[in-house]
Amino acid sequence: MDKNNLMGESVSKRRFLQVMGTLGLGWLGAAVYPVYKFLSPQAVPDPFGEDGRALVDKVSTADVARPGMGKNGSYGTRGLIVFRDSQGQLRAFDSKCTHAGCNVEFQGNRFYCNCHGGTYDLNGKNIAGPPPRPLTELGVVEEDRAIYVFRLTDEKTEQA
Amino acid sequence: MADYPIPPEAEKQIPPEHKLTGKVARFLLKRYPIWPIIDHLAQKVVPVHKHTIWYNMGGIALFFLLVQIVTGLLLMVYYRPALPWASVQRIVMEISFGNIIRSIHHWSANLMVLFLFLHMFSAFFMKAYRPPREFTWLTGAALMGIVLLFCFSGYLLPWDALSFFATRVGISEIEKAPVIGMWLAGLVRGGPDVTIDTIGRFYVLHVTALPLAVLMLLGIHLFFIQIQGVSEPDSFAALPKEKKRYHKFFTEFMFGELPVWLFFSALLVALAAAFPRELAPEADPYASAPVGIKPEWYFLSQFQLLKLFPGEIEMVGMVLMALIPIGMLLVPFYDRSIPTDRRGKIATLFGIVVLTGMIIFTVWGYIS
Repeated sequence: MDKNNLMGESVSKRRFLQVMGTLGLGWLGAAVYPVYKFLSPQAVPDPFGEDGRALVDKVSTADVARPGMGKNGSYGTRGLIVFRDSQGQLRAFDSKCTHAGCNVEFQGNRFYCNCHGGTYDLNGKNIAGPPPRPLTELGVVEEDRAIYVFRLTDEKTEQA
Repeated sequence: MADYPIPPEAEKQIPPEHKLTGKVARFLLKRYPIWPIIDHLAQKVVPVHKHTIWYNMGGIALFFLLVQIVTGLLLMVYYRPALPWASVQRIVMEISFGNIIRSIHHWSANLMVLFLFLHMFSAFFMKAYRPPREFTWLTGAALMGIVLLFCFSGYLLPWDALSFFATRVGISEIEKAPVIGMWLAGLVRGGPDVTIDTIGRFYVLHVTALPLAVLMLLGIHLFFIQIQGVSEPDSFAALPKEKKRYHKFFTEFMFGELPVWLFFSALLVALAAAFPRELAPEADPYASAPVGIKPEWYFLSQFQLLKLFPGEIEMVGMVLMALIPIGMLLVPFYDRSIPTDRRGKIATLFGIVVLTGMIIFTVWGYIS
């Protein structure tokens, strides 16, 4: 047995500390899970409702009345750009830049990201700057002067 | 690097050099000449006598303070002072384990106040406040006051019907102070009535100003105790030397508190699960106060005492209520004699009257 004056250790004390240490660690372990769950983010609701559509906010039909007009807006908790192309077709893209997540700006003939200069053509294809992937295109319909978007592909809306 | 020499008495007591603990100890002692501090702390003892259990009350209160800090930090993650009631409702209804964490915060606050009262009265009756420990007593009294401010400010934050009226009533007592009452109450509330502006003030108090004050004062309080050691009651001090028994504070006494802490951890979880803190409907400043609304138990004796002084003579009750804590606070300055003399007996009698009065008025307030 290793005995030293400073700690005044003895076998029974060591045993006591082992038991208490184990109990204490067990207790802390049991506390970690609730704290982790408490801090875990809550699930974000899917912006697309039961009919698979999401109402577009902050873009009215008047904002995209003529070809060449477009505007940043939102659907659910996400940002998007709705614009009318030269053929008069209404189109929509999720506005989150695939590089670092800023919202890109509609500039008539392209989408431009003010953060790092990422540039996309009007089909959402990344053509200059750092973005690694094209923007996600959304389906778009006009109905009773409201604009709705829907998912075009099977992939989830969540993209980097 | 010029190393500090390791004192010979340290060499004798620290673990041998070939062991890891010995290496770490030498590494530190060469850099920081702190052996006198370590030696002093190692000499610190707790006297063993039939009242030894009362030495544990402060440590238990400290445990509840740690629980308050952890649960309070967690609650701050989701609490919004601009959306007080809705954000607490979200914590209770939507956030995983939010209800139990809030309830633990509530129960731990109550138990902390209870054990602080036990700690304070045990120090009072063991006369631990006498010279040279006056400042330990004064810092302790300040900590008690700050903890009650914690309770009062925290009670408002959920912004339910209970918290709204409790705060309105509590601050209205300030209004009754002569001359400066109305001005001071307005300053505390941030206006003529309790509003969201009051929450802004109380929130900053509760999560920043008071915690800083507690950490500072508690640091001083514990520092004094570490320097001066634990006081011995007269009965123990009068014993012949061979009959005195002591526990070492480090680490016998400290580790002896571990099972107690574990027990109270379990108790907190059990209380929070069995009796979760309710969230009353959102505060409506124009609705009638809820039926049966009463202060929390630690303010109940004052509330009941004031009822004895209605209307015109309420001022008398207020003065009396102010004199009691002042009398407690100043006790080290009129009871100085070791061993106890006649003035010491009067102090003890005063303590007995205050404690009995508090218990009677609290029970009376509870059942009436």
